[in-house]
Amino acid sequence: MDSPPPPASAPLPAQVLERLRTLLLADRAVAWLRMDEALLLAAAGGDLGAYGLDALEPGKPVVEQVHLLEGLLPLVESPYFVPSVEVIKGRVADLHFWLDGGETWLVLLEVTSERDMARRLQQKAYDMTLLQEREAALNRQLEAARRELEAAHEEVKRWNRTLEERVAAQVAELERMNKLKRFLAPSIAEMLMSSGDENILKRHRRDIATLFCDLRGFTAFSENAEPEEVSELLQDYHAALVPLIQAYEGTLDRFVGDGLMVFFNDPVPCPDSTERAVRLAVAMREAVAALAAAWRKRGHQVGFGIGIAQGFATLGQIGFEGRFDYSAIGTVVNTAARLCEQAKDGQILVTSRVATVVAEMAELADIGMLTVKGLSRPLAVSNVLGLKGGDQKVVWLGRQTH
Amino acid sequence: MTMAVQKKICMLGGFSVGKTSLVKRYVESVFSETYLTTVGVKIDKKAVVLGDKTVNLILWDLAGEDDMSSLRLSYMRGAAGYMLVADGTRPATLEMALSLRKRVEAEYGQLPFALLINKKDLTEQWTVTDADLGKLRGDGWWVQSSSARTGEGVDDAFADLATRILG
Ligand SMILES: Nc1nc2c(ncn2[C@@H]2O[C@H](COP(=O)(O)OP(=O)(O)OP(=O)(O)O)[C@@H](O)[C@H]2O)c(=O)[nH]1
Ligand SMILES: [Mg+2]
Repeated sequence: MDSPPPPASAPLPAQVLERLRTLLLADRAVAWLRMDEALLLAAAGGDLGAYGLDALEPGKPVVEQVHLLEGLLPLVESPYFVPSVEVIKGRVADLHFWLDGGETWLVLLEVTSERDMARRLQQKAYDMTLLQEREAALNRQLEAARRELEAAHEEVKRWNRTLEERVAAQVAELERMNKLKRFLAPSIAEMLMSSGDENILKRHRRDIATLFCDLRGFTAFSENAEPEEVSELLQDYHAALVPLIQAYEGTLDRFVGDGLMVFFNDPVPCPDSTERAVRLAVAMREAVAALAAAWRKRGHQVGFGIGIAQGFATLGQIGFEGRFDYSAIGTVVNTAARLCEQAKDGQILVTSRVATVVAEMAELADIGMLTVKGLSRPLAVSNVLGLKGGDQKVVWLGRQTH
Repeated sequence: MTMAVQKKICMLGGFSVGKTSLVKRYVESVFSETYLTTVGVKIDKKAVVLGDKTVNLILWDLAGEDDMSSLRLSYMRGAAGYMLVADGTRPATLEMALSLRKRVEAEYGQLPFALLINKKDLTEQWTVTDADLGKLRGDGWWVQSSSARTGEGVDDAFADLATRILG
């Protein structure tokens, strides 16, 4: 409380005022305008040219000549201040308005360098903010892209899974078809594969001609001979028979050691299945006879017998998981197998039904009634001696399935 | 000597939305990529012929808004109308334009104005949908998209605003 009161604002000495005036106005363009009550220009002065106001005409409305005044006059308050106005390019002024008597005064006090300084700061702040905004926007885009990528990745995974499944299915299909190929003449297998018809693999019943054949004395031979000799003989035997089966377009059901089974009329339909079976049998007999002659020279006694039967069988994929075979089962198969067992070397034993069908084209000899294992009644059996008079008529199969 | 009609129009909006660029395109028919922010206000004049009348538009290009600085509404004194500008690639600037309108109307009442959604040429970053524009129009806004860079929509926006100012 004892401290001295603040010095009363004594008027500043003229030298200080002069100094302040110099400091305030240094390097600043200052211009002024005075307007009368009708807002006509009364007088103007200072550095008007700096603001592009050098062509002012006193006595005329000021708003027409100084367009920045549009809307500001008459003043609604006094003094009135409009800061930092870029009046013309590169020249910024604070506008100071006041009323004196009936007259309106305007002073333009240049603040270009203050404006430039403020602008540098503001520019930095805004540039920084814009960068941050841009960064945030890019991050959002990045995040969206990442999510999209993830989704696409999932999609690819799913596709790969279904692709694997599809490949597996196709491989299985191919395997099935390849199996089929083993039983069929290649041309027919190709046809079935390209038709892609899976129905042929379904179980069905059909009237087929079945042929069984095997070697006589093979077991004894294989017990005495060297293993190489046995496999060589079998190779020759297969090499002789398989092309014949294919040539007659028979379905090779199985080939176990020296025994094999062929049937006709399935899966490829053939109207002359019985005739074909008999013709194939005759051709086989000839082929094996030629082989047997060669083997005999090497001291091996091997004979060949065939059985043929005709009748309904169940056909299709038969077996259990993982080991399906296209095969036929039924009495007709048993009968043909038993007839084959009973056949002596060079004999082609056929049932009476077969004999009736081929009577026109084949020389047959009646063997009489044979009791066959697994059948309740004895069978009338004939032996095919040969084909009649060079008969070689074979109707080749068309490319169709049942 | 008949005095040409003279009207003051203010450019308002968030910072860096293109207010200065729009004026420059309109008055000088040029565009610059460089961003030079406005401090205070820059005044330009453009004579526009509307039918048989020539109107001098006195364009007050104001400093942009950000969250910190608040508009010096005193610059609006005597304005006959105003142009709200937003940046179509920055949704926040549209919000800014909507709030500016409220503040102007609280101080000066209803004046003719137009809303320009600018930078239409930046289609890849554009976030404003036609539906957004449609909704604003439904609410009675005069709204158009524009590009100071290509000049699209610029002359029309000013001419339309001037027409409405003249009533
Ligand atoms: N691509 C594109 N860029 C634009 C457009 N308009 C303005 N720009 C750019 O946007 C930036 C800001 O433009 P300005 O016109 O200075 O923006 P402003 O609204 O005046 O900014 P402040 O004065 O800071 O409020 C500059 O880099 C311009 O080149 C446009 O229509 N398209
Ligand atoms: Mg600007």
